[in-house]
Amino acid sequence: METLDGTEWDLLIVGTGLPQSLLALALSRSGKKILHIDQNDYYGGPEAAFSLQEVEEWGKGLADDPSSAPFSSISITKPEQVDPDEGPSLSFSRAYSLALCPQLIYARSTLLQHLVSSKVYRQLEFLAVGSFWVYSLGADETAGSPEALTPVGGRLLRVPNGREDVFQDQVLDFKAKRALMKFLRFIADYEEQPEVWEDHRNKPFPSFLTEQFKIPASLHAPLLALTLSPAVPAQTTTDHALPRIARHLRSIGFFGAGFGSVIPKWGGMSEITQVACRASAVGGGVYVLGKGLSTTLDGSINLDHQEGETPIYKVRLKDGELITTGQIVGDPSHPRLEDPAYCRSITVVSSTLDPLFPPIAEDAPSPACAVVIFPSGTLKLDTADGEAKVPPVYISVHNSDAGECPAGQSVLYASIALKGTAGFQYLKKSVEALLLSLDVTPSPTTLLSVQYEQQSRPSMQLLASETDEPTNNSSSSSMDLAFDDSVLDQVKGLWQEIMGEDAGKFLVFEDREANMTEDDE
Amino acid sequence: MADSGASQPKPSSSVKLVLLGEAAVGKSSLVMRFVNNDFQENKEPTIGAAFLTQKCNLPTRTIKFEIWDTAGQERFASLAPMYYRNAQAALVVYDITKPSSLTKAQHWVAELQRQASPGIVIALVGNKYDLASPSGGDNAEDADAAPAAEGENPEEEDSADARRVPTKTAKAYADEESLLFFETSAKTGMNVAEVFTAIANAIPETSLKGPRGVGGQTNLNRQEDARVNLTGGRAEGPKEGCAC
Ligand SMILES: Nc1nc2c(ncn2[C@@H]2O[C@H](COP(=O)(O)OP(=O)(O)O)[C@@H](O)[C@H]2O)c(=O)[nH]1
Ligand SMILES: [Mg+2]
Repeated sequence: METLDGTEWDLLIVGTGLPQSLLALALSRSGKKILHIDQNDYYGGPEAAFSLQEVEEWGKGLADDPSSAPFSSISITKPEQVDPDEGPSLSFSRAYSLALCPQLIYARSTLLQHLVSSKVYRQLEFLAVGSFWVYSLGADETAGSPEALTPVGGRLLRVPNGREDVFQDQVLDFKAKRALMKFLRFIADYEEQPEVWEDHRNKPFPSFLTEQFKIPASLHAPLLALTLSPAVPAQTTTDHALPRIARHLRSIGFFGAGFGSVIPKWGGMSEITQVACRASAVGGGVYVLGKGLSTTLDGSINLDHQEGETPIYKVRLKDGELITTGQIVGDPSHPRLEDPAYCRSITVVSSTLDPLFPPIAEDAPSPACAVVIFPSGTLKLDTADGEAKVPPVYISVHNSDAGECPAGQSVLYASIALKGTAGFQYLKKSVEALLLSLDVTPSPTTLLSVQYEQQSRPSMQLLASETDEPTNNSSSSSMDLAFDDSVLDQVKGLWQEIMGEDAGKFLVFEDREANMTEDDE
Repeated sequence: MADSGASQPKPSSSVKLVLLGEAAVGKSSLVMRFVNNDFQENKEPTIGAAFLTQKCNLPTRTIKFEIWDTAGQERFASLAPMYYRNAQAALVVYDITKPSSLTKAQHWVAELQRQASPGIVIALVGNKYDLASPSGGDNAEDADAAPAAEGENPEEEDSADARRVPTKTAKAYADEESLLFFETSAKTGMNVAEVFTAIANAIPETSLKGPRGVGGQTNLNRQEDARVNLTGGRAEGPKEGCAC
């Protein structure tokens, strides 16, 4: 095996999660000597995607090493098959690519622009996110009514796709329609109308809807759903909600009629990390999986010494190899207690769940993803009290077009901003309720279910830099349902810091392949 | 060469071909020879080619190879699943002067059988044939395939045969695993076009489809119409979606 210690690297990047991989991509034409390592033997870190076998190995690894943040409390269940010859069953391991980070990407996200300008989009495929659905208990819902304990009563309502949809809606009464239309007109340029919402900036969004627009409470759920806010309504502020609803509505139609966001095919953000790392390797970056930095007992990295005017660091890898490098980028070692933890689950079911995927529009690509939101309070646990404080559950449903499961099956990615047993119970209940609310035959069976907790972590920064103060304080946002553009801002900040004066344009590259365009497309 | 121009338009299909094998066995050199008919001695490890394309004209159809090089990610076994994904053909290369590289090649074949699409066409290629002495092959067929005796191995002090992997050892393994098998020299060009032509011929007609964007993933089912074209975005979309 070749060794790494004979080289003096300009930069050591630790971890192949999305931010690190995008940084490597951004530096792929910089001429810097880059060593990019990951302690896991797979790409993607918290954004990885796994085959069946890999997901089991991952689970086992986590169970063996409880300190393997950011994941914990993992359990994997495969319902026993009564008769293996009868009924649906899991396919072979590699037929699956289960995503730890199945984020959707809004059409106007700077990520998509940068994937195009850096040319790596050529190795990626993107699919449309179709309908958004809100789980509703029906007209006679009264908070805390005992009937609501059974999930069977609920149904899924499609969130209107804009003003035209609202206008044509058969269910809404005239007054509600007018109020909603007024709000949608407002959100189209809410930035220009601070007088309308300034006073509500830090107040709960639902009261803003009621007080400013007289929107009936029954219509709050779909609007809240579009914020993708992990918090309970009372903690979802107006200044948080407005830009996110605007992001949703303004993205619709950007890449085609009727949809506003996309997902990468083949396992979520994992695919982007792999493509970005490959581009960096093509530029000369050296990639080593299965090697982590050795850390001291308190979790900080082992810096052997530092010399000269421009610092040269010597760090050890876990296997003892000594690396000499000018700079180091990685995740800060200490998780912060105040960072939130989520419960997440991945469920593979034996059905295409067609009712969730109605055609988007004429000429539009067929949807590979649907989003189902269980608003705060729509699900009750027999044991729990104080349900109004229960955050919403979000479920991203991917059909087999997404390349994550074989034809005839679907993958449900659920998450809730709650940890512990209660969180898992709500997820389970939501998935059950979702499946029960659909009229599909034969009724879907669960083939695999994976559940785990994920702790948000401070995101990547320059480690051991001269200043020694944290470059940023923001948390890694791989737990968001949609990709957060602030991740790219962090990458750009670091890239600038590393490149200094002659940084050039961020993630703007020419095609490398001279011979590829002549007769293509 | 495989790329001799055809006058009649024939059905044309793209095939993703991946290279695998130990570092320095000559993977990039083989591609250079095939695509540019060029060879560079002691070149730096490849920087700058993500993939190259080259057509291969068969009597009834044209195969356009999209050739993916490892970008050095084979050195520490850090190739990503996306590299193998939807590859329809693979060139697994070893160096006939280095037995350990054949062992390595066998690992790659196993990895392909684990990671790649079931129908993938795999060619096992023993490269650097020019370093073997013409008679050094261990069977008769070998002598037939030997190139003109140009470029005798100057680096071999005794000018002896540098071959360390007998043809029949590798051939037996290839037969066992149903792999195509060739010995090549990227340096002289021997058998290079032949490897690609053999692969092109071995790709089942049923797994072929029309041309598509370079680097796009091959997929053979209905998903084509599910793809979103990222370059088709509106520069100035409406502030709110839908036709209002
Ligand atoms: N004598 C000889 N040398 C070769 C041949 N093919 C490649 N080489 C040399 O072997 C070294 C490694 O080649 P390269 O294509 O970079 O190998 P890769 O790492 O597998 O891509 C270079 O110095 C090449 O010049 C060959 O057929 N004969
Ligand atoms: Mg090479």
